[in-house]
Amino acid sequence: MDLFFQQVLNGLTLGSIYGLVALGLTLVYGILHVPNFAHGALYMVGAYISYFVMVDMGLNYWVAMIAAAGVVALISVLCERLIFHPLRHAPPIHDKIAAIGVMLFLEAVVQMHWGADFRRMPTPYTSILHFGDITLPAQRLLIIVAAFSLMGLLHLYLKKTMTGSTIVAMAQNREGAFLVGINANRVAMMTFAIAGGLAAVAASLFAPINLVYPAMGHLLLTKAFVIIILGGMGSIPGAIIGALIIGFAEALGGFYISGTYKDLIAFALLVFILSVKPTGLFTKGVR
Amino acid sequence: MTLMKTFRRLAAASAIALTISGAAQAAEEVTIGFTGPLSGGAALYGENTLEGLKMAAKDINDAGGFKVDGETYTINLVSLDDKYSPSQAAVNGKRLVQQYKSPVIFTPHSGGTFALQAFNERDGFIVMSYTSVPAVTAKGNKLTVKIPPNFTDYIEPFSKITMERFGKKLAVANATHDYAKYWTKEFVPAWEKLGGEVVSNNAMDYNKSADFYTGVSKALSANPDVMFIGGASEPTGLVARQARELGFKGGFILMDQAKIDEVAKVSGGIESLEGSVGVVPLADYDTKGATQFVEKYKKDHKNVATSETAYNYFALHLIAQAMQEAGSVDDAAKIRAAIPAALNKLPGEFNPYDVHEISAQGDLNADPQIAEVKDGKVVLHRMSELKK
Repeated sequence: MDLFFQQVLNGLTLGSIYGLVALGLTLVYGILHVPNFAHGALYMVGAYISYFVMVDMGLNYWVAMIAAAGVVALISVLCERLIFHPLRHAPPIHDKIAAIGVMLFLEAVVQMHWGADFRRMPTPYTSILHFGDITLPAQRLLIIVAAFSLMGLLHLYLKKTMTGSTIVAMAQNREGAFLVGINANRVAMMTFAIAGGLAAVAASLFAPINLVYPAMGHLLLTKAFVIIILGGMGSIPGAIIGALIIGFAEALGGFYISGTYKDLIAFALLVFILSVKPTGLFTKGVR
Repeated sequence: MTLMKTFRRLAAASAIALTISGAAQAAEEVTIGFTGPLSGGAALYGENTLEGLKMAAKDINDAGGFKVDGETYTINLVSLDDKYSPSQAAVNGKRLVQQYKSPVIFTPHSGGTFALQAFNERDGFIVMSYTSVPAVTAKGNKLTVKIPPNFTDYIEPFSKITMERFGKKLAVANATHDYAKYWTKEFVPAWEKLGGEVVSNNAMDYNKSADFYTGVSKALSANPDVMFIGGASEPTGLVARQARELGFKGGFILMDQAKIDEVAKVSGGIESLEGSVGVVPLADYDTKGATQFVEKYKKDHKNVATSETAYNYFALHLIAQAMQEAGSVDDAAKIRAAIPAALNKLPGEFNPYDVHEISAQGDLNADPQIAEVKDGKVVLHRMSELKK
């Protein structure tokens, strides 16, 4: 039974990180209507900024996280202004190509500046909690708590505030949003900023139990794609539930079925869910 | 006016062209090819191997090149990225041979080696393979040289040391790439032959896993005494760290791809690796050549020298020496035949690992050392002593 709860905790940790990354991806999807391939690179840049602020400048972990969120949000907004906004009337394939270009550019810049080596980011929370036979390092607990509080905050923001509702409105119906006088530029910039910030926070949370290197975003991005397809493109609850499904599938499937095939289990689940509900779990007729 | 401009440009262009061809005639160049991962997840490894070649080429060129048959040659190193993909390595190999007329091509992976072996004898170039998979030379390719020792040499000493210290129950939790699978295939029977038991076999994808908690806790649920882990050093460090976090008290056997010093940086210091065995970090190697190489490396680099850099550094010096012995820079068969003579003549400062012979198949042989972490310190054993 302890082993089971250990896996549940592992699944929660993974699910929280996947969730934060997938949320950003799904929000931006509402604006771009194509998946933003550069999202994984933003996540990676977030990890490097935290690493830089914390290790090279010697500042506090939380300061590093906020700095990373700020910088990446800014980069994300710049991408929107300089690249995706001018392409808004172009066919969707142009957005896709541009996003891949941004991804390659960011990776190359990071590799040029920091090199290809693996780096390790320290954490101030090194204690390990034990509940019977269950092991839970403090950093993992922090990931779960922080990720879910952020998701909660985001939910409140989108549902309860006017600015939040404009984002949802844009995602649901672009023309309709224009008709009621929503300023599309402002909403697009805000969405990109939130998505970038979430990715950077996810990276800063996850980096201390993982490694920091230029290709670190690829893996998270593929997982996040699966999650938003599973949950329904553009759906916020879909991204959260999808992330938890994939996190638990990896943890429990990896433990009870086969570690070698744990990704296979996640993808088999995707095939199954899509054949039952082809638009994803939570789509409400949004494109 | 425009005509005048065109003439001036033409004159300038031809002047430049003349200077370039003039420079090329002054010193003969021999092109050495490299194909390896320079981008993607294995980029660091590829760059480390390439760095060894660059250092050797710089040594040789700074000394004014080397003399073959009265001509002085300098080395022109051409490196192409193959992203660890065998098919791309083959394309790069063709390009290096046809466009650059390279008589020797270095590659730091077994997949690339096999791909190049498909046409190296026909196209006449030597494959310098930095991989410890025995199969690359076992197939009888006449123009292949395998630079590091066979990984199978490590299996018995690794097993004996850990089995005596911790016990007979082994959990396999190494990576899933080809090289790791070769290791598992050779390692498991050897462990069982020594009277051990494999209680859990749970390989994990070290490059594609976001987290190892699940895999490690599965391996530990079988209560092993020893864990066999390894892939690239840093993810291996994560696996070791998480195993300790989850309460594992036994020893680790580190696959030779992982280097103890680099693993320790991630796993939480050398104490966290108590009872581990693995290959010896270059900085701890006690040969004179190794010490000299580490010093030399320190001068121009911020990080610590790795064994892949040192081995490739040695290998390019060896090739230059062999070209001198052979009296040829383009006849691959002659150069290959001259390697034994070159090994005898190569100065110790270019040979950090004291490589002393090459087998007929093309394996370069040294007497490798083995590292064991004992009481928080790295203790060295010589392979030849352990075998007695």
